[in-house]
Amino acid sequence: MLYLEWVSFLGLLGCGLWIFLKLPIEASQGFPQKIMYLHVPSVITTYLAFFVVFIFSIAYLWKRELVFDQIAKASAEVGLVFCALVLLTGAIWGKPTWGTYWVWDARLTTTLLLFLIFMGYFLLRMSVNDRDKEARLASVLGIIGFLDIPIIHKSVEWWRTLHQPSTLFKVESGQASPSISPELYYPLVASIIVMLVFYIYLLLLRYQTEKRTDRLNQLLADTQD
Amino acid sequence: MKTRTKFVIGGAIIFAVLTALSVQGLQEMTVFFYTPQEVLASPGKFENKTIRIGALVQKGSVEWNAQAIQLSFNITEDGKKFIPVYYAGVKPDLFREGQGVVVEGKMQGPRFEAHQLLVKHSEEYTVETENKKNKEDYYKSIQAQ
Repeated sequence: MLYLEWVSFLGLLGCGLWIFLKLPIEASQGFPQKIMYLHVPSVITTYLAFFVVFIFSIAYLWKRELVFDQIAKASAEVGLVFCALVLLTGAIWGKPTWGTYWVWDARLTTTLLLFLIFMGYFLLRMSVNDRDKEARLASVLGIIGFLDIPIIHKSVEWWRTLHQPSTLFKVESGQASPSISPELYYPLVASIIVMLVFYIYLLLLRYQTEKRTDRLNQLLADTQD
Repeated sequence: MKTRTKFVIGGAIIFAVLTALSVQGLQEMTVFFYTPQEVLASPGKFENKTIRIGALVQKGSVEWNAQAIQLSFNITEDGKKFIPVYYAGVKPDLFREGQGVVVEGKMQGPRFEAHQLLVKHSEEYTVETENKKNKEDYYKSIQAQ
């Protein structure tokens, strides 16, 4: 599809080779810092995926076009996978640096909450048989669920957490100043871009399947009448 | 009593308990650790309670006994007021002087006995330029450990 699968495959491969073969070792953490190139792009992708859910859920409630719900559903599914990846890579990163896989601090707890909300989102979808009612209820939960993301993002500033504040979105005296050396920063930006391309590919793929599933169900319902 | 009334009463009780639990949970979640100043200011409040304290490892205070696997150090925010910490366990990889840590345990008199030692690292990522440490040296250094 638009060769996006090849772009993401070659991009991910290229980033991987760059990160493991070319990048210098980070000063304080050493080798474990490299998981940042999977963790942070997954975070950004999760944010974007659920933002898409948010926008298209509003669009569905407003226009009642099934296509908006299909996009929201596809994006929520991809977002849930990336959210799981965030929790998993975070745990793997936490062990060698913090000394634990998991703590119940505000950042980690609100991230787990996001994962659980969107697990509930799919349970809700599965429990409703009427397609329009499913779309309506899911849209409401999709909008509410997204509201956890600003909380996740700000949790490290609002509350005392074990998780450190944001590196990428650090603001000093009103100016954006990511606290990371350029050698480590550029590959991170590249990894984020590649991951977003991969997200778009997965989203389009899931959306097409969703569209066909709905059409097939419609046809089956019509023939039974 | 009508079924509806029973549902209302039952629902109200469940709602009240859930609210109480989440308020308590939120308080615990939003304050993941106390600071040494807060603990020193009101010792009575924290006596015999399992708490977490977050601060920096005071420079020159670390004593590590590798034979007995015992670690003791002071934690401080300002370098003046500090709490001595005792921890019977392995020293984490990122543990060093001046590093942020979160210790979980209990105050035993003036000393904090920790059963968990977590490292709280900063959001700054840099490459080692001073020593010009390259990858080969790094791999050798971890193999030597």
